[in-house]
Amino acid sequence: MKRLVSAMALTSALAAPAFAEEFKFAVTTDPQTMDPHAVNSAPVLGFLNNVYEGLVRRGKDMTIEPALATSWEPIGDGEGWRFNLREGVTFQDGAEFNADDVIFSYERASDENSDTRSWFAPVSEVIKVDDFTVDIMTSAPNPIFPDSIANWMIMDSGWAEANGATLPDKEAGNYATLNANGTGAFQITTREPGLRTVLEPFDGWWGEVEHNITRAELTPIQNPATALAALLSGDVDFINPVPIQDVARLQGDPNVNVIQGIEARVIMLGFDHQPGESEAGQGGADIFQDARVREAVAKAVNVPAILQTIMRGNAEVASQLVSPAMRGYSEVAGAPYAYDPDSARALLEEAGMAGATFDLKCPNDRYLNDEAVCQAITGMLAQVGLSPTLDAMPVQNYWPELRADNFDMYLLGWSPGTFDAEHPIRFLGSTPNEEKRLGSWNFGAYSNARIDELLPMIQSEIDDTARQAMLDEVATIMQDEYAYVPLYVQPLVWGTRSNIELTQRPDNFFILRWVTVN
Amino acid sequence: MLSFILRRVAQSILVLLIVGAVAFSMFRFVGDPIDNMLGQERTIEDVERLRAQLGLDQPFPVQYFRFLQGAVQGNFGVSFRQGREVSEILLERAPATIELAAVSAVFAVLLGIALGVFTAIRRDGWVANFIMSASLIGVSLPTFLIGILLIYLFSVELGWLPSFGRGETVDIGGWSTGFLTATGLKALILPSITLGLYQMTLIMRLVRSEMLEVLRQDYIRFAKARGLSDRVINFRHALKNTMVPVITIIGLQLGAIIAFAIITETVFQWPGLGLLFINAIQFVDIPVMAAYLMLISVMFVMINLIVDLLYAFIDPRLRVTGS
Repeated sequence: MKRLVSAMALTSALAAPAFAEEFKFAVTTDPQTMDPHAVNSAPVLGFLNNVYEGLVRRGKDMTIEPALATSWEPIGDGEGWRFNLREGVTFQDGAEFNADDVIFSYERASDENSDTRSWFAPVSEVIKVDDFTVDIMTSAPNPIFPDSIANWMIMDSGWAEANGATLPDKEAGNYATLNANGTGAFQITTREPGLRTVLEPFDGWWGEVEHNITRAELTPIQNPATALAALLSGDVDFINPVPIQDVARLQGDPNVNVIQGIEARVIMLGFDHQPGESEAGQGGADIFQDARVREAVAKAVNVPAILQTIMRGNAEVASQLVSPAMRGYSEVAGAPYAYDPDSARALLEEAGMAGATFDLKCPNDRYLNDEAVCQAITGMLAQVGLSPTLDAMPVQNYWPELRADNFDMYLLGWSPGTFDAEHPIRFLGSTPNEEKRLGSWNFGAYSNARIDELLPMIQSEIDDTARQAMLDEVATIMQDEYAYVPLYVQPLVWGTRSNIELTQRPDNFFILRWVTVN
Repeated sequence: MLSFILRRVAQSILVLLIVGAVAFSMFRFVGDPIDNMLGQERTIEDVERLRAQLGLDQPFPVQYFRFLQGAVQGNFGVSFRQGREVSEILLERAPATIELAAVSAVFAVLLGIALGVFTAIRRDGWVANFIMSASLIGVSLPTFLIGILLIYLFSVELGWLPSFGRGETVDIGGWSTGFLTATGLKALILPSITLGLYQMTLIMRLVRSEMLEVLRQDYIRFAKARGLSDRVINFRHALKNTMVPVITIIGLQLGAIIAFAIITETVFQWPGLGLLFINAIQFVDIPVMAAYLMLISVMFVMINLIVDLLYAFIDPRLRVTGS
């Protein structure tokens, strides 16, 4: 008997993991809320993807895969989508997941107080068919609707009601700002804003566990040098991002790995297409209304050289407003604008704009090495006979300047929230129209009637080939008109200890359930 | 004495009001908080609605008046970034800064006075000369550089001390202390040295020069002639008489330690008020910035008041003019 007991003790000791696999990760920005509908920003949604789940989710290659819905199909002739929900799923507080939670989360996430409201603009009605079937009706056929709701996270209606959090509260916060109750693979056990957030695996998770983490701790570290030191000393297992200038050094260290990829974000130059006074004044008014000047800019900027020197070879040249990893990327639209300073000079002569003065606005803390890139561009434009004045500023001051039209040319990065080429057309390519909520980031008021005509057709086209043909047409128009000058796809550089295995996704979301600690 | 205190308190309130007014007039240059509160898919309508809800569409005197109205009732508003009461956040972050500042101050004062006295007494010895030269580093190197150098030496290369954070803390009645755990104490070492180094060298140099001055005085010579021991002369007579300017500096520097812990806290990711303030600036979190600036000015005003009172206590001559 005694022997049996000790044998049992031995087996259970073997069965349990020998060591608790603790994983510490550091990011620059602490997620500002735990409410999945309050703020539509990458730090918040990326983090909460570990805790909450949507009807669908994105896999390692960004494709849409089943999550809380096991399958979905279009209804009729594009009137909407039917989602068949997964049965036997429980929230982390033990409550059962069913169609009521989906309806509740739709109402919550599409409310005026929610920042995720724009995802539901095409939705006309959400109908509960039975406890595990939901129909989401759209006002027009919407082929990419399932793709567009991958970050729409489902919250338990009972939990939200019991804790007075039926709506997100951006100003004062509520229970859901600090607490979370999802169906995801991890649950939050400690939340100290700006300090640490501790996660532990949720035992009742429906999925198959791939990770071996027993406890994960998120620490925001703002100072890049401190984050780097923390990684090198082993105080943290993961940092994002690694400063570009330190990549080579980290690659030489056997204890750490550098994981590089390209992000979904395309960095581009935008122009003031509107008639009106130039910011820099003297003789340079409206220079960018002339397509030849925009073309000259495109030819004067040597993007490969910028990437080689400022990005140390860690980024890729872009030719369109989306990166090749996105759905709807146009294979047809031509190659990136070629560097051709002589032809740029000739174009400026022809347009009578040689020596034109103008103002280049640039953020200095928004994108990787943004100010250095703008400085290089300023120099390159000067070489072909333009006289730009660089005005770089912190991002909090930058957006108000752009909104107030205080620019001739500006730097912008765009990451399509839906991972589809339609997204930048809606925000950057459409003629600004407040009522229809189009072109809200098209600061320079670029306008092309054909694009405005194509956009609603793209949004409601079910047939993939026909849709792609229209996307190709838009991409070609924008390229031919030099609407924007796409520069490069921003690199993604993560650093880990060498005993960590993980998967990097182009949306820069860090998914804990793909982490293995060796 | 009472009228002296009352006058100082009245002056202090005026100073606070001016600081607040200057702060509020500056906030609109820091940027627009709305951009950080709404995602990229927000509409102009959303922006305008939130702006009105937060009262940011009002001119700054109105915003300032509303802030004062709340502040006198102890209500500093709600943080734009965290969506929680500012007073709650400040209380949560204060222990980290106060503990760091206290350890740095003790380090700076004790070591500063000891080294100052030592270098004054042995002023031609090579050890004293070495200390004097080395102290130039403390005065001339910027704080963030010292911090990063210490981190690379003691955390990355030697692996003795943590590279960031506070370690484990123990919560005692809402006060989280790092004094009671081994990791908490270890985590205090590098940031305290980084934060206190400048003040330490400053105090040391001040004590040394004051001490050299006093040692030349006649009464020291007479004390020597009376055959008093070196210890009594140096510590009872000389050091005590160097203390008036030293206490002024210590008082002002104590305020500086708390106020300028910002850089040290950023380098070490120390979760105190300074780091909170830096985050607030980046996010344009106006309620947090306003409350922090008011808190710091209250603190400076209080320290000045206490220092003035201490003078009267140490130097009897001031007591006469004071009353």
